[in-house]
Amino acid sequence: MKRWIPIAVIVLAAAAVPLLLNPTGYWIRVFTFTLLFAAMAQAWNLIGGLANQLSLGHAAFFGIGAYTSTILLLKFGISPWLGMFAGGALGGVAALIIAIPTMRLQGHYFALATLAFGEVARVIANVWTSLTGGPVGLSVPFVPPGFAAYSFKQLLPHAYIALIALIIVTAIFEVIRRGAMGYRLRAIRENAAAAEVIGIDTTKVKLQTAVISGVLIAMLGTLYAQVAVFFDPDTVFNAMSISIRVALIAIIGGVGTAIGPILGALFIVPVEELMNDLFSAGAAGLSQLIFGVILIVVILWRPRGLVTVIEALRTWLRGKGAQS
Amino acid sequence: MTILDVCGISRRFGGLQALSDVTFSVPKGQIVGLIGPNGAGKTTFFSTLVGLIKPDSGSITLDGVGVVGLKPHKVVGLGMTKTFQNVALFAESSVLDNVLTAGLLRHDVETARERALVCLDRVGLKSVADKMAGNLSFPERARVELARALCTDPKVLLLDEVMAALNPVEMQEIMDLIRELRDDGITLLVVEHHMRAIMTICDRILVLNFGRLLADGTPREVANDPVVVEAYLGRSVEGHA
Amino acid sequence: MSFIQAILDGLLIGGVYAVISIGLTLAYGVMGIVNFAQAEFLMIGMFVSWFAWAYLGLDPVLAAPLSFAVAFALGWLVQGHLISHVLKAPSVAQIFLTVGLLIVLENGALLAFGSQFRSVTTSYQTMSLSLGSLFVSVPYLIAFAMSLACGLALWWFMRTSWFGRAMRATAQNPMAAQLMGIDTALMYKMAFALGVGLTAFGGAVILPYVTVFPGVGGQFVVLMFTVVVLGGLGSVAGAVVGGLAVGVIQALSALFFPIQLQNLILFLVFILVLAVRPQGLVGASR
Repeated sequence: MKRWIPIAVIVLAAAAVPLLLNPTGYWIRVFTFTLLFAAMAQAWNLIGGLANQLSLGHAAFFGIGAYTSTILLLKFGISPWLGMFAGGALGGVAALIIAIPTMRLQGHYFALATLAFGEVARVIANVWTSLTGGPVGLSVPFVPPGFAAYSFKQLLPHAYIALIALIIVTAIFEVIRRGAMGYRLRAIRENAAAAEVIGIDTTKVKLQTAVISGVLIAMLGTLYAQVAVFFDPDTVFNAMSISIRVALIAIIGGVGTAIGPILGALFIVPVEELMNDLFSAGAAGLSQLIFGVILIVVILWRPRGLVTVIEALRTWLRGKGAQS
Repeated sequence: MTILDVCGISRRFGGLQALSDVTFSVPKGQIVGLIGPNGAGKTTFFSTLVGLIKPDSGSITLDGVGVVGLKPHKVVGLGMTKTFQNVALFAESSVLDNVLTAGLLRHDVETARERALVCLDRVGLKSVADKMAGNLSFPERARVELARALCTDPKVLLLDEVMAALNPVEMQEIMDLIRELRDDGITLLVVEHHMRAIMTICDRILVLNFGRLLADGTPREVANDPVVVEAYLGRSVEGHA
Repeated sequence: MSFIQAILDGLLIGGVYAVISIGLTLAYGVMGIVNFAQAEFLMIGMFVSWFAWAYLGLDPVLAAPLSFAVAFALGWLVQGHLISHVLKAPSVAQIFLTVGLLIVLENGALLAFGSQFRSVTTSYQTMSLSLGSLFVSVPYLIAFAMSLACGLALWWFMRTSWFGRAMRATAQNPMAAQLMGIDTALMYKMAFALGVGLTAFGGAVILPYVTVFPGVGGQFVVLMFTVVVLGGLGSVAGAVVGGLAVGVIQALSALFFPIQLQNLILFLVFILVLAVRPQGLVGASR
């Protein structure tokens, strides 16, 4: 029971933040995207952290999610809430298609193969103009505001939807991590042959994880589309700003832990925004340059992520407590 | 009643005939020793039995079900598993989690945990359940591996040198455990280099040489078989014992 | 005829691809590092060469050794101060350190040189030799010849020099190499610096037919990975075969597909190779 108290406090605090921000301002947008990217990184964390398969192609599923719900809304007037599930289903199918040939690859090879798959998705989205509108991009049409229509005048509801999404994805991650599947995934990660001879269907477990991860990030694609309102293939299928960024958030935070992606997003998204804010008036490239330097420093300083800073802090505090 | 029937198993790796027409069958509840010089194909044979290596020809029947061509996890599900000669634990997990994961084959997490503790108790390692597996000594790790295999509830258990690096007391404990497992109805195939151990506990011994079955009989028969003595045991039977 | 013409063009372009990709395979072969920032050194090589042309009046192709030297020095520093710290770290840290490097180099160039496209003008830029009914583009031919010379020099260096032999020993077994008195940290610096130097050299020789801008590396990333994966990650000889193959694939797909789909073909080849034969088509491993 006791361990629920800090979690409840954090959730309540997070829920209070948007109320303190200017509802039409810049920072509520940053906050919403922070939550959204935390949730995306958490979805990635299933395959990247638990299965230790470093996917650099998650933009493929994310983009599919964003496009599916928006196209369904544009062409058939279907509410994005439903479109989100359709996108999730398609994202899952895409994840399965990608996972089957790449699953037996490891480490760098898996990363490279998924990177290429993500690029294939981007090129297809650009070329298939009859469906996606091509490089011009899509605008989410304005419909009368209302919860059922997933249409709001302000960003505040989007912030809460993103928060709930983050809580749900994190809960799914934790349930999987602590459950039978988590044990199986750890076993596969540490020794695949040994995992097989204690009866683990390594192929099935990896495919399941890939599909769950793909479904979740595709559903988050709908959330992104609804907040961003406009997007094109080069944004939502982008290797750098989606695939690599999502992986980076989880890694900077602490891969394989539930708190890692949240820490990572809290660090990276605002820092990136702050850099853009501070230096965009200066020379082009400066903000991204500093951002890159910060990443390098964090990786060199904490190769296992910022979560180790919290652990170290805890140990230090405990030591202090023991002394006094 | 036959629990394991092996018929004409052959396997070739490039120019090396690793296994050649291996045929025998094991009745339920026997302890069968598998001996042979290094490189005779013992580990390859175990890997073939559980499906890690596919034989070029031949059939393997476990409790009436053909298992050639099945993935290892299927074979384990049907009731046959093996330990690894050089120990393949999940080094960054706790001892308990190593064994628990194996229990998940037939149970939910809670039941698997109880089962795992029972299995750890049987190999005498309950006290280190919370330690990280990678931090144990080699003999302890071999015993965790045994507990993990046990936790899959096997009908047939293949032990690949679980007594390596044990002292005489520990070795006696494992020998007692193997007998207990036999009494519980588990059939065991044991690869071991300690001749005295294998001569003591086994009901029957198979001798493998260059991937071919050289002899099959009671320990006494095998030890006195001139072909075996010449090919493998030589004068070292007494020397080793 | 256009078919044979495409193969010819492909081979000429592919020779350059081989040289720019050797560095990637060298770093992997010797240290097990996959450098996602490798293509940024191509960009650096192009810029060095462009400035040498614009301010010193040097032909971009002749400036190639200068590009090599600048990238070599930079690579030496990067290996010694950054990558050496993650050699034993999990592969996530390795991958993302080089991703960070990519971001820094690309944006550093943006900051320093601005986002405009720059190209050079040379006397031979539009020249071509006719060979029966075939045409050989002179800039392609020069780039190919320079790459060939550079590749041969590397081969000679690796075969005959003490450095080359020590480096190959380190690739095969770092522990044993260390016991033999080889300073492996030095070998790593050498391998990485040499690799990015070659990539920059390749950047200089293609400048007569490719415009340079800070994001130009992005156009070569997947191409370079395709080359090395095709040839087997870690194999230098494989990179040569892979480079030629990728050049030909690109030239041929230009015959049959619209421009937007040409990259798609490359990606699909890449995925296919990874899925079917991750050790590469040549099959020689490190």
